[in-house]
Parts: sequence; C-alpha cells; structure tokens
Amino acid sequence: MATFEVAGLRQAYGGRTVLAIDALAVEAGARLALVGPNGAGKSTLLRLLAFLEPPSAGTVTLDGAPVTTGAARRAARRRVTLVEQRPYLFRGTVEANVAFGLRAAGVRGPAVARRVGAALERLQLQGLRGRDARALSEGEIQRVAVARALAVEPLALLLDEPASSADRAAQQAMFAALADEQARRPLTVVFASHLLEDAYRWAGSLLALHQGVPSPVTPENLFRVDLPGGGPMQDVAVGPLRIVVVTERSGPATLAVAPDEIVLSAAPLVSSARNAFRGRIVRVAEHGAEMRVTIDVGIELVARITRQSFEEMALAVGREVVASFKSVAVKVF
Amino acid sequence: METEVLGIAALSLKVALTATVLACLIGIPLGFMLGASRLRGRRAVLLLLNTALAFPTVVIGLAIYGLLARRGPLGGLGLLFSWQAIVIAEVILALPIATALSAAAVQAVDPRVRRTALTLGAGPLRTAWAVAREARFALAAAVVVAFGRVLSEVGAALIVGGNIRHETRTLTTAITLATSQGNFSLAVALGLVLLALALTVNVLIQMLQGRGDV
Repeated sequence: MATFEVAGLRQAYGGRTVLAIDALAVEAGARLALVGPNGAGKSTLLRLLAFLEPPSAGTVTLDGAPVTTGAARRAARRRVTLVEQRPYLFRGTVEANVAFGLRAAGVRGPAVARRVGAALERLQLQGLRGRDARALSEGEIQRVAVARALAVEPLALLLDEPASSADRAAQQAMFAALADEQARRPLTVVFASHLLEDAYRWAGSLLALHQGVPSPVTPENLFRVDLPGGGPMQDVAVGPLRIVVVTERSGPATLAVAPDEIVLSAAPLVSSARNAFRGRIVRVAEHGAEMRVTIDVGIELVARITRQSFEEMALAVGREVVASFKSVAVKVF
Repeated sequence: METEVLGIAALSLKVALTATVLACLIGIPLGFMLGASRLRGRRAVLLLLNTALAFPTVVIGLAIYGLLARRGPLGGLGLLFSWQAIVIAEVILALPIATALSAAAVQAVDPRVRRTALTLGAGPLRTAWAVAREARFALAAAVVVAFGRVLSEVGAALIVGGNIRHETRTLTTAITLATSQGNFSLAVALGLVLLALALTVNVLIQMLQGRGDV
C-alpha cells in the first residue's frame, strides 16, 4: 500500500500557487528524493505531507485514509514526522529533546529512557545525551533532530535538505542510519535536496519539481531564459554563455539539457554539435556504473557518462574539459 | 503603629498578588490565542489592548464604582469598599498588560517551535506548553509588569476601596493620606516598604525563572 497518495494537490499563498501536483504515490518503504532548485516547492510539499498545513485544494491520503479535517491532520501527525532544514531543538538537554515526541505519544516510565537511548545510538549520539541542546554544532543539531524524529517510530519520515548543514561524514552516518532503520522496520522516507548527487546516491526514486510542478526532466541543466524570438535557430543568453536553441517561441521559457546529451572531450570536437563550452570539472558523483560530472563552464552543466569513459579519459575534479551538445538536444518548455 | 504598617503591607501584597494571579490566569491564555492565531480581527483586538494599557486608573475605578455602588447593577453583592472590590479593579487594569505582553511574547517565539512540537505529535496543550517554555522570560516579564502596575496603583484602589483603616487601606492609599495630612516621614517610610515589597517579589520571580532553566 502507498504511504502517501496525492490527488489534485494545490497550495497557494497570498493568491499565488506555489505547488500543483495532480497525482503522486509514495509506496510504503520507499526512499523518495524531491529535487529542484530553491523555490521549486519541495518544502511546501513536505509541509503538506507532514500535515502541518491544509492544502488550498486536493487531498493527501495517508496509509489509505484521506486526511481532510483538522482532527485527521492531528492524528496523522502522530504517524509522520518532518525534520526541517534548520531543525529547532527545544531548550533543555538532548535527552529531553528526543523524549519530547515519546511523551507526546503517551510513553511513560523507563520506556522513555530506553527508547531515547536507542534512538541516539542509531545516530551515534550517545555521547551527547546529557548535553545542553543549545551548545551543539549545526551537524549535531541535525542528527539530534533525526534521532528525535525516529524515536517516535513514525510511519514516514520527511527530511528537508537533510545534508545542508551536516559535514560529509555526518551526512553519511545519517543516511546510513536511515537505511538501517528501513531495514529494521517499515519506514517511508521522503527527503528534499537541491544537491542531485545526494538524491541519486541515497534515493530509490526521484521526483523533480520545477516552479511547483513535477518536471518531466531532472532538474540538472535547467535554465530560466528570455527567448529573443525570430527562431527557428536562436542564440539565447544563459548567464555568461550563449546557447544555440531550436525553437519558434519567444519570451520567458525554461531550457533543459538532459545530462546524457552532453558529450565530454579533452579538446573541441569537429562535430555537428552547435554548443561547445570549455570548463573545469567541479564535482563528480558516482551512481553505480555511471558518473555524474559537474562542469563549470560559466554556468554549471551536469553530464552523465559511464564509469568506463570517466576512467579512460582520466577525468578528475579540476580537470579541464569541453562539454558539447546539439542545439536540438535543448528542450524548451 | 508598626503593626498597622505591617497590616497595610500585608493587605497590599494580598490584593496585588490575588489580582496579578487572576489577571495572568485569564490574560496569558488569551494572549496565547491572540499571539498564535491568524484570525481576522486579531490586529484590532491587539490595538484595543494596547490602548487599554494606557487607560487612566481613576476611570477604571469610577466604572467599577458605578457597577458596585448600592444602586449599580452589581450593588447587591455588597462589595464596594472591600478589598475584593480593589482586586476586581486591579484585575481589569492588569488584564490588558498580561494579555498584550504575552501575545507579544508568543509572537516573538521562533515559528519552528510550534511546527516542531506539532510534527512530533504534540496536541494543542503540549504545543502551547512548548511555546510557553521557549517564551518564558518574556512571559515572566509580563507577570512582573502586571504585578508592578497593580502594586503601585492608587487611583482605583482609593475610589473602590475607600481607604478604610484596617480594611481597605493599602500602601499607596496610606501614602496618599499621610502626605495630605502632612505626615511626610510616615509617607516616606511606607514608600520604602512598598519599594522593598516590589523588589522582593521581583527577585522571587527571577529565582523561580532561573530554577526552570535546564
């Protein structure tokens, strides 16, 4: 059964629609990443899935039951927990923080201490148990917040940009703890990230959002532009670059270049590709047999290549490469 | 003489504490509702409250006098010129303070506190308690300011209490009387007792607040 089912969901603030999802199902035990740039609607969707606010229209169904009333949302909040991007720890000790949800759920006596201990252990935080929550580092706050959320054993755990404030090692520990938890008991995880590398590494599935709407392409290489018009071939300014695009449209639009349409080469190619930009590799993410290589050519472009090509070309962060793609490979929507 | 001063001080304290407790019991929850809600008309209510903060105490005294006077709507209660009448007037004076200051305290709390409590499954009461804990310094300030207003109030206490010896004579009304009789040394002595009382209660509140800090 699906943990979440979303139908005709709309959220508007001050008359402006910030989220519009016609249908979405998140299966029980799934690990879904919401990806997209800032303002894409990721946090709004998480707050709606956490039942912290009512939608302007549409319904969210939790575990088969539509949640439509205030009372139903209150009940649903006992089964879904959100860890915000900058989590808030209450005044008091780490222990008191982790115990908060347990006490709210009516857990009393020695069971509280036992479950707090278990939750802290899962995040490797036993040493912080008696510490003042206000004296922790950002990464520690993040992990305590995750431990606090896991302590109540929710049906679904929602995380907003869980990696933004944690260092790389803390992040690994956190995602590993979540994977352990999912192996131990049924738990659905939905997390938002603007870093696609994290999404690809940790998620089982991916939902790309762009301006509040599910996007047909992954949000890599998405650019808001102003088409000059006078097509079919147009020279479009994207940051410091000019990208050649085939379209008859004019005015505001979004350009998308799929990562597998980008060819990397050591030197400029003699080819039919009308777009070729020289830049340096700034990030590399492994995802099974494929590599996602981010190149800074004045803007950041992500190319998807095989591990074999990556190794044969001896690519590495800092290496200079040429990224090429055909003008017909640029989607306009 | 000394026992009389002690009696006056005790009555002042009794009236002020009773009025502060009652005003806070009503005002703080009210402030919570105002501070946390997004209801229409909230701003208008806050504006009214802020106006009430500056309400002249003699006018309140007069209004209560009108209510409690023998021919007034509540005259049958026989409360005029009793210490309870002073408490009623002081509660009405302190209520806007307790409400407006606790509404401001709640509004100043990080919005994440409420969301965090809710997402961890807390009901409305536990959520309000979590917010109150985070706002407790500002809430304690509301209590202290309300108490200060009540303890130092003289106009309403004089009108509805009548400054009756051994019955409704408070420190402030006694000071007024002593001054008008030219007994300055007594007035100053009573003033010092009043100051000492205010200081002691504030220290106690601060100590209570400190103990709650984990």
